[in-house]
Amino acid sequence: MRLPDRVTGLFLVGLGAAAAYGGWQLPPVPGQPVGPNVFPLVIGTGLALCGLAIALGIGRSFEEEEHLIPVEGGQPTPPTSKLYGLRALLPPALLLLYVAIAERLGFILTAAMIVYVTSTALGARWKVALPLALLAPIGIHLIFSKLLRVPLPPGVLPMPW
Amino acid sequence: MLNTLAQAFALITTWEVIVAMFAASVYGLVIGSLPGLSATMATALLVPVTFYLSPIAAIATIVAASTMAIFAGDIPGALLRIPGTPASAAYADEAYAMTRKGEAELALGAGVWFSAVGGIAGTLSLMILAPPLAEIALSFSTFEYFWLAFLGLMCATLVARSSPVKAIASMFIGLLVACIGIENPGGVPRFTFGITNLFGGIEPIPALVGVFAVAQVMRAMLTPEPPPIPKRKFGSIMAGQWRLTKKYNWQMTRGNIIGIIIGVLPGAGADMAAWVSYAMSKRFSKEPEKFGTGHVEGLVEAGASNNASIASGWVPSLLFGIPGDTIAAIAIGVLYMKGLNPGPTLFTEKASSMYAIYLMFIIANIIMIPLGIVMIRLASHVLRAPRSTVMPVIMLCCAVGSFAIGNNMFGVVTVATFGIIGYVMEENGYPVAAMVLGIVMGTMIEQSFVTSLIKSDGSVLPFFERPIAAILAAMAIGALIWPVLVWVWRKLRREAAPATASR
Repeated sequence: MRLPDRVTGLFLVGLGAAAAYGGWQLPPVPGQPVGPNVFPLVIGTGLALCGLAIALGIGRSFEEEEHLIPVEGGQPTPPTSKLYGLRALLPPALLLLYVAIAERLGFILTAAMIVYVTSTALGARWKVALPLALLAPIGIHLIFSKLLRVPLPPGVLPMPW
Repeated sequence: MLNTLAQAFALITTWEVIVAMFAASVYGLVIGSLPGLSATMATALLVPVTFYLSPIAAIATIVAASTMAIFAGDIPGALLRIPGTPASAAYADEAYAMTRKGEAELALGAGVWFSAVGGIAGTLSLMILAPPLAEIALSFSTFEYFWLAFLGLMCATLVARSSPVKAIASMFIGLLVACIGIENPGGVPRFTFGITNLFGGIEPIPALVGVFAVAQVMRAMLTPEPPPIPKRKFGSIMAGQWRLTKKYNWQMTRGNIIGIIIGVLPGAGADMAAWVSYAMSKRFSKEPEKFGTGHVEGLVEAGASNNASIASGWVPSLLFGIPGDTIAAIAIGVLYMKGLNPGPTLFTEKASSMYAIYLMFIIANIIMIPLGIVMIRLASHVLRAPRSTVMPVIMLCCAVGSFAIGNNMFGVVTVATFGIIGYVMEENGYPVAAMVLGIVMGTMIEQSFVTSLIKSDGSVLPFFERPIAAILAAMAIGALIWPVLVWVWRKLRREAAPATASR
């Protein structure tokens, strides 16, 4: 997901301009010179200016090279296809899925699915992933629901406690 | 004073606090020593748990977990050359070189001993600096608060290890996030796009969990698994540490002082302290040629520095609600939740709670020595847990924890969104710490800015009229202009260089 500075910079120009415009549109407080519109206006303008500077490459000379420490022993290099980068989106996608189905399916089943998928995606075999998917949700449920009294959705498989 | 101290003792000698502190210590040691899980992440994931604890126990968990995690990062650094937390990255190479020379015990012992010393030095700075500063801060008006917050934000961008322009942009993004909601001077829905859940604004804690925990799981998806720690037998870990203390007394003190200063600066935390101190140690060493070959001197100084910054990071947090680092940013969120709103009056009205915080820091740093030794000995067993079993559990904690903060599924959406934002920003060199600071301080800076503007009737002059405000303003504007000056100077020098070369 490394994008050129030009792209991120221009995106920030757009975001800043939109924020400034949105702030400007807000109704002022009657009888007061400054209201809720001032701050977004200032920030939006600042953000747009920064974005412009980034797009033009100002300040690049300050960036230090990342101190990557190579791992000894020669790790197998991951396959680098175009779709490989999309794997990074798996965790947030799973969280959004949790939002969508946890109420109906219940915590335990949804959590088991999240654990299984994440674990497999990180290279665990089913012999590891399956027991983990069975035990981890129950453990978390015990801590949060029983000990901390967080109302986790019971769904189709309520826990006996 | 003695009375307050006695009250503070009574506050922390309850079973709840003792158990919470011990559990958080073990948790901090484990999370800190697992590569890729940072101290900030450990603290952020603790927050939902702190909801259900008493105020002092909640703070105890944060203090203990962050202190332990910063030290524990040294363990995989020394044994694997992979820093457990970013704060150990500065000297992971050096520590690993010592392990290869057969001095793993000395390297790890120095880690635990000088971390403890640094932590206690940082706590002393908190005890000494905070109360007199609180006296001064009592007379602050919104003008001073505005400049202070502004200065804090500028510091965060100055010390970032990336382009200052990108850091400032990150800070603006954070401030923009803080604009969302109806909590603004006009009380109108702002940037809510008609979504009811956004009316209350973005909660800082789920945003932090997203930026520090979810983004980390996302990175793990694309990076190879670190190798497990090789099994080894350790000799005496604390042997020789007293000799080192005497030999490198000055280096240790210098590390403590640098750590304290960097900790107090908003936005700059333990990782920055370690980098600066390691570089300083090398620069002023009598034997700089030994650095990088397994020389303990840099470890002493940087280890003393990064733990010192943890406690001193609480100084601006407790006084002004301006986080000294990302861990303190989380701590501020917890303080607000627990009714200990940061501010100078905290030191007069809730003095016993403040003393309890000092005491907890000292205790955490003392019990770190035995617990740390146990952790080092167990490291090769504990750290065998593969990433594919740890990360799924962290995912669950993110989901449940962010839900628990408001018993609202929208928290989970926030976590997922900020995971993506944090990941993309970090990948492209935008420091997330600056954004976090913007989110945490946004409301405060807007309030002081708008109130000041209303008081001054739209005029800019009163912002500079009060003496302290004028000083703070000069510093803040200096911090703003500084990168520009450096940039211009570099540009001029670069243009001058070819000219002289051609001559």
